Amino acid sequence: MNFFNVVTSGLKRRPVRTGLTLLGISVGIAAVVALIGLSRGLLTSWTAGMKSRGTDIVVHNMRGSLTPKPFPASTRDRIAHLPGIAATAEGLVDLMSIENAELMVVSGREWGGFTWQNLKLISGRMPNDQMERAVVLGTTAADVLKKKLGDTVQIETEELPVVGIVEGGAFVENGSIILSLPLLQQIMGSQDQISAIDVRATPGTNDAGIRKLCDEISRLIPEAHAEPAGEHLVNTEGYRVINAMSWGTSLLAVLVGVLGVTNTMLMSVFERKQEIAILLALGWRRSRIVRMILWESALLGLCGGIVGVGLGVVGVNIMKTAPTIHGLLEPDLSTNLMLMAIAIAICVGVLSGLYPAWRSSRLTPSLALHG
Amino acid sequence: MNLQSSEPKQTAVSPVVFEASGLKKEYDDGQVQALRGVDFQIREGEFVAIIGPSGSGKTTLLQMLGALDRPSAGSLSYRGKSMLDWTDASAYRAREIGFIFQAFHLLPTFTAIENVQIPMFEGDLPRSKRIDRARELLKAVGLDQRVDHFPSKLSGGERQRVAIARSLANSPSVLLADEPTGNLDSNNAVHILDLLINLHRERHMTLVLITHDMTVARRASRAIQMRDGRVVFDGDPSKLTVDS
Repeated sequence: MNFFNVVTSGLKRRPVRTGLTLLGISVGIAAVVALIGLSRGLLTSWTAGMKSRGTDIVVHNMRGSLTPKPFPASTRDRIAHLPGIAATAEGLVDLMSIENAELMVVSGREWGGFTWQNLKLISGRMPNDQMERAVVLGTTAADVLKKKLGDTVQIETEELPVVGIVEGGAFVENGSIILSLPLLQQIMGSQDQISAIDVRATPGTNDAGIRKLCDEISRLIPEAHAEPAGEHLVNTEGYRVINAMSWGTSLLAVLVGVLGVTNTMLMSVFERKQEIAILLALGWRRSRIVRMILWESALLGLCGGIVGVGLGVVGVNIMKTAPTIHGLLEPDLSTNLMLMAIAIAICVGVLSGLYPAWRSSRLTPSLALHG
Repeated sequence: MNLQSSEPKQTAVSPVVFEASGLKKEYDDGQVQALRGVDFQIREGEFVAIIGPSGSGKTTLLQMLGALDRPSAGSLSYRGKSMLDWTDASAYRAREIGFIFQAFHLLPTFTAIENVQIPMFEGDLPRSKRIDRARELLKAVGLDQRVDHFPSKLSGGERQRVAIARSLANSPSVLLADEPTGNLDSNNAVHILDLLINLHRERHMTLVLITHDMTVARRASRAIQMRDGRVVFDGDPSKLTVDS
């Protein structure tokens, strides 16, 4: 027998109550895993998409809004000459409701630009030229839309044949409908408008060089922003809103968990008043009683965290099949996120145990001689 | 039950363990006066029975001796040191005192041997030594065959034996027993009292026992009778009368 046995015995005494409290924390932690996993998944999926295209810098105008604001295609001419830039590729990207998919990435890419190079043809062919009224689908997009070669995809009012299925090397690429930039501009009525310029730096440019290049580009085109690929999404208003909402909802769920554990631990302390007094009468220091209560609540948090991570993973795997998410992002269920969720659960436990532990430390040992 | 005093009188050379002077304890802003100026000395190795009716202040007095509560006035010392100066009495309770309660107060989710180990957490014995010591103590109280039983599977007498073994866990010099036979039938009561007296003799411990049972008190070396928060008799238990 050791001190840990004393701690666990407190929790085992009321298994139903302990189980329900644990479930309460689990739901909160599951919400953290699911929402933060989806939010981070958005970031990692888009960052991976950029990397697969070989993009080092993204020039965009997304910061102040939830969706990218188009800007003139001529902007590219003001930066293409900069030393350190190896290649540029214009693009027009939008999230659209396509047939049965509520949100899908539609990516118009500059014909002949490097952003086509990472696409590996799985079946069919690429469009013959930039004016061919046709699209290629990423493998996931084809799966979501249930399309095969020869079928048509309706974008806005235009029905376009699927001429190829491609593998893009990243989840977002695979979930996209890809067509030539002029065609999408025409369909969207956004002639000479683009939403991003993908910039490839000269090979061997380090992070500092990339940032310096970003600064130079931003100076030349103050109406847009140049940021290292991946970071551009973090700094957008849209991602911040999504992130804040995810954390807000998660914290609310965690707060409910805190109240649940606090309630359980307080009830436990009240029920065990005499037992705690007996321990004090037997010579236990008050600090040991405090530690016992804190360990109990931390253990409750740890177990709740482990169950919560399990629930969260199951939940996310169900959620990612939802039409709004499927093909748009791959949830980030990294070990880091799981460890963070468990750490949060333990903190919830300890935090919830503070007041009950303080109350227990105030009990008088003379209670041991009553009853 | 053996009605003879089981302990020779203590000689004056034995050092004083407890000394109380003008000890008072009030509750509810003085509306309840549990102790109204109690004076006594208890010497090392004595077996003192504190006897009195309910509400006479005997349990309050035991609380003071065990440092479970603080007096409202007066002085109380343990081996010459004022107990009123202690800010944390846990070390005193852990090392100097062994408590035995009327209702046993064993922890229900632990076996007999685990219950005996509970006070040892405040000592420095490693786990294996704790187990050995708990086993040895349970053997000393005749429960070496019941070490892995939970309290719910033990009789009242056996539970009190476990509680006695627990009180000895840290080799205290003083045993404080609050009506240790109060919840037992007469047969078990005799056995438990015999066990306490034997332990007191063998281990040369000071035993302070609260009882309302005159036959139990008469086995002590000295009796302190209380009524309404005052000591009304202090002396040879054989001279105790119901009206003293």
